[in-house]
Amino acid sequence: MPHQRRLWIVLLLAWSLGPLLWQLYTSFCSDQALVAPLAATPERWTLAHYRAVLNSQPPFWRYLLNSLFVGTSSTLLTLVIALPAAYALTRLKPWIARPARLLLLAAALFPYVLLFLALLEVARSLHLGNNLLALSIPYAALSQPLAILLLTAAFRDLPLDLEDAARLEGMRLWQRLRWVLIPLIAPATTSTAILVFLFSWNEYPIALTWISDASLLTLPVAMARIAGSSIYSVPYGAYAAATVLGSIPLVLLVLVFQKSIVSGLTSGAVKG
Amino acid sequence: MILLLGPAGLLLLVVFAAPLLHYAWLSYHADSVVTGLEPVLNHGANWIRLLQDQRFWQDATQTLRFALVSVGVELLLALAIALLLDQRWRGRGAVRAIALIPWALPTTVMALGWRWIFNTPYGPLDQLAHALGWPSLNLLASPAITWIATVVGDVWKTTPFAALILLAGLQTIPGDLYEALRLEGGSSWVCFRRITLPLLRPYLALALLFRLAQAFGVFDLIQVMTGGGPASSTESLALYAYLNAMRFLDFGYSATVVSGSFLLLLGLCLGGWLLSLGLSRPQRQQEV
Amino acid sequence: MTSALRRLQPWMVAALTMALLVAGSMVWVQARPTESVNILMPAPFADATQPLVKRFNQEHRGRIRLTVTRGPLETEAISDLAISSLLLGDTPFDALLMDITWVPKYVAADWLQPLDPWFGPEAMAALAEGVRAGNSINDVLYRWPLVASMGLLYWRTDLIDQPPRTPQELVTISRQLQADGRVPWGYVWEGRQYEGLSCVVLELVHGFGGFWFQPDQAAVGLNQPQAIAAVAWLRQLISEGISPEAVTNYAEPEALQSFKAGDAAFMRNWPYAWAELQQPGSAVRGRVGITTMVANSGDPSTATLGSWGLSMLRGSAHPEATATAMRFLSSTESQKALFLSHGYTPTAASLYRDPELIALNPILPQLEEALEHALPRPETPLYAQISDVLQRDLSASLTGQQSAAQGMERASANTEAILRSAGGTP
Repeated sequence: MPHQRRLWIVLLLAWSLGPLLWQLYTSFCSDQALVAPLAATPERWTLAHYRAVLNSQPPFWRYLLNSLFVGTSSTLLTLVIALPAAYALTRLKPWIARPARLLLLAAALFPYVLLFLALLEVARSLHLGNNLLALSIPYAALSQPLAILLLTAAFRDLPLDLEDAARLEGMRLWQRLRWVLIPLIAPATTSTAILVFLFSWNEYPIALTWISDASLLTLPVAMARIAGSSIYSVPYGAYAAATVLGSIPLVLLVLVFQKSIVSGLTSGAVKG
Repeated sequence: MILLLGPAGLLLLVVFAAPLLHYAWLSYHADSVVTGLEPVLNHGANWIRLLQDQRFWQDATQTLRFALVSVGVELLLALAIALLLDQRWRGRGAVRAIALIPWALPTTVMALGWRWIFNTPYGPLDQLAHALGWPSLNLLASPAITWIATVVGDVWKTTPFAALILLAGLQTIPGDLYEALRLEGGSSWVCFRRITLPLLRPYLALALLFRLAQAFGVFDLIQVMTGGGPASSTESLALYAYLNAMRFLDFGYSATVVSGSFLLLLGLCLGGWLLSLGLSRPQRQQEV
Repeated sequence: MTSALRRLQPWMVAALTMALLVAGSMVWVQARPTESVNILMPAPFADATQPLVKRFNQEHRGRIRLTVTRGPLETEAISDLAISSLLLGDTPFDALLMDITWVPKYVAADWLQPLDPWFGPEAMAALAEGVRAGNSINDVLYRWPLVASMGLLYWRTDLIDQPPRTPQELVTISRQLQADGRVPWGYVWEGRQYEGLSCVVLELVHGFGGFWFQPDQAAVGLNQPQAIAAVAWLRQLISEGISPEAVTNYAEPEALQSFKAGDAAFMRNWPYAWAELQQPGSAVRGRVGITTMVANSGDPSTATLGSWGLSMLRGSAHPEATATAMRFLSSTESQKALFLSHGYTPTAASLYRDPELIALNPILPQLEEALEHALPRPETPLYAQISDVLQRDLSASLTGQQSAAQGMERASANTEAILRSAGGTP
């Protein structure tokens, strides 16, 4: 491997991991060590910060659980709605399909944070606040554009004869979808599911306005609350520990599903 | 057919179309704690206020500055990363996975981390400055440069996304094109300029468009990292809209700010599109 | 048979007694369940009131359990936290320690419970006079003050005999002292673009005979000659070198630091600064006096009122218990304890004459006098917005980017635009 390339690779790794590694390092530093993180200090290492974060009220794992719940339910809801819609889009006449795809692209580009006010009013009037299941509805809605675009591309890649063959065998539309078409686009569905899950897990403004109960907070909102509550004089040990704990699930997710994520994004870019 | 498209269509209408229309309607009403959070027609007083609202225009400028600088830096970095990952070498998959991690983390989680990294005097940057004998950097407390810290945070998080899009584009370029040019005696730089860049253009455009729109709506990073920054110097339009609704309890004006931001975004996209048309015309003339 | 019954008798009696005891205790427990009261406070107050909360829980064991939720450090963030729940129709807290400027907003949103049933006229009469303002809207009591604070003019007793009473006097004395080389700067104050600046300007605008905003008539007084004169005077302080240029970036800590180091003859700050100035490291220890802010003769010498107080949220499940907790936390004993431990200025009139407290802080009588000049900031639900707009234009005027007249004209126009847009004009 040429030396120059190795240098670039090292730089890339340092850039991508550096900030996280700093959090990891300081999360184990005692308060005295935090004051001089790069100097040598006796009594350097401690687990006190992790204990403080994990023993807080409500406990930290609660936030992870909430995020997991919302992520899973939004992903399921999104797929249930987007799969049929994507199929239908491939069977529409081009003069409707093309503008529809453009609109979907525009919706996917739209900075959804601007929608928070209208969604807040929806939450207030329909009493959907402080309800994790209700939160999946806006998440599913916001994920539709991306999901439909990705799944449409996948459906279009399937040869038409397959469906014709299934139709000749006497399968109705729902049966064709259920037994033939959807299983065939499984890789694309997986990618879409993971991307939607990532979005729901990381979403902040809507979770912030729809959930106020401390025990129902999702992870990003909980982290923001921790950030606002400058409890300690040299606070950052607990912050660093919280950052590390908050990052672990997603780092694992990315490492396990990276091929799926990459293929989803790149196919979306190429075909979208 | 209706059954297949119905739920999706309904959700999309409710979540995208209806709010925008509602904002337009609400912006012509006073809907604040003074009116008991009920809309009362006020004949455009919100819009008159918006036009003379220095905070809105300051935030608009800041948001635009943030978006343009952040996206500009990102695309350069993303291109470099994509070029690196396009070549074949051992361990490429693992490095690609690691490069993806910043993008996968929730913004607020790492925003907290960035607050710590930029902290004066205990953060690593300040410690480094002390070691080199420089004065304290005070990166999060000076209205003139705190926005740069937010740009760093944003670039770190979103570059992998742009890199992946560009990588997808790079992988569609057939290798023979490069071979042909190299046989004619072209250097790497010429290959890059005459093959890579032109063929990457649609992907660059897609990444640019996507990222500009997202950066324009920056909220999570700013709210957690600086809270709007020293003296609102890092405040973004989305944050201002949020404060108007949630802190000032003025929903009517918040809707106006959102509508104003949306119009500015449309203007920006239109401007960008016209610019790209203008740029491509001389190119086309050159090719002819 | 009867002998068998007789043998069982003691057991039956025992069993019956047991059953009665159990049933009785269950009834007793249900008739007196432990009511839990949750109060949200900013972190410093939550820490300061810890011992009080402990004592309360001991005294009311089994009946009321008081918890204080520690809120964020930043003032506005506490209100944000409460509002995010209240907007969704949820009240996780029974009471809130409120800044004085939030009361009109919360009352207009109908989130506060009137406190008249629990704090009547006698309780009100026991408060120091200046503290009574800002707690009632339309004669209904919504907030019970816990800690009082007012803007003060600090002066160096070793440099002059009598503090200045008018702005002109302050300028003359400062010029003289600076010319004599006795002190680098004349007057340090909070000129940064933040809420503290609004407090500074309120005092001066009234001292020049003007006003900022009167909610009842929706009248804006910023573009009138008196307010413009006040701002022009502030700008003059900077341009003539009586206050350093840097004062446009000073908040309370910076002004205090400068005065503490002996770099200025006068300072505007809150009562807490007194204790800081008597610390061993202070260059002006024992040489500081306080008085109210300067004002033109014939115009009121004004001290901006800052205070924290307890308000009950409307959805509270235990209003009686919450009121009991509020009364306990604001009782004279509690206030005395808070003063002794953290130096929080009390609200009860009697404490200002308590010899034990005066021994620790000799300026208490003067604080009471300053309270008589205390003025709350405009009591309107739109306060946060109009304060923001004023700070902006003021800051531009103070840094010389626009004249005082221009700045105040714009501030006035902006304030009226806000009123119209939010429906605040009658």
